[in-house]
Amino acid sequence: MIEKMMNPALTQLKVTAKDWQEAVHLAGAPLVEARAVSQHYVEEIIRSVEKYGPYFVITPHVALAHAPSDAGAHQLAMGITTLEPAVAFNNPDNDPVKYIFTLSAPDSNSHLQAMQELVELLSEDAFYQTLDQAQSPDEIMQYVQANVAAKKE
Amino acid sequence: MVKALVACRAGVGSSLMLKIKLNQVIDEQHWDMEVEHSSLDELESFDGPIIVTLSDVAADLKSEGVKKEIVGITNILDKNEIQTKVGAALEKIGDQ
Repeated sequence: MIEKMMNPALTQLKVTAKDWQEAVHLAGAPLVEARAVSQHYVEEIIRSVEKYGPYFVITPHVALAHAPSDAGAHQLAMGITTLEPAVAFNNPDNDPVKYIFTLSAPDSNSHLQAMQELVELLSEDAFYQTLDQAQSPDEIMQYVQANVAAKKE
Repeated sequence: MVKALVACRAGVGSSLMLKIKLNQVIDEQHWDMEVEHSSLDELESFDGPIIVTLSDVAADLKSEGVKKEIVGITNILDKNEIQTKVGAALEKIGDQ
């Protein structure tokens, strides 16, 4: 399931950002380009963090950038952006952020299985090694396909 | 059966992942516990005793004076953290 939400065009490696706002803008840009989300959705992510704090830095070095569905999530999609160098999101427990997963979920249930798979991916050290070492987005796609498919058997 | 609500700002991302991980812990620990998830907007209609959320959200809820057992998780993939903190909340409720 999650492999259908991802694609190489939504995946960016070794992106440089001067601060977390720029990092979220850059991470969201391919999803806006693909019309998976509106530009407003990306702005809403930033506004939410400014209002509530970095609530989506969920585990060390990982941000699951997202906003409520009605902010402009048009299509089910998951972007991956790796940051180099890592960027501070003002989350004392889990900073600095090296990986941004930009989630677009048009409703609260259609991505249930994909989130389950993301939990499994993020629980494996090998996934982080792949994110760090990949030379192209395709290598990450291959890892995801191999591992998500392997779990289903 | 104890009811717990996993909530986050948007109700589509972090809370869903936290719910998945919490359910794994519940299975392993054989806790008699049922988990729902939602956005914070639906907090008022929840009638159970425990709310599980990210630590910064938990701090806000506590300062707002929400009258529930509030558990804040910093690393939502860390089953040990979830087990320790939710386990402590369950004990507190059992004592009441």
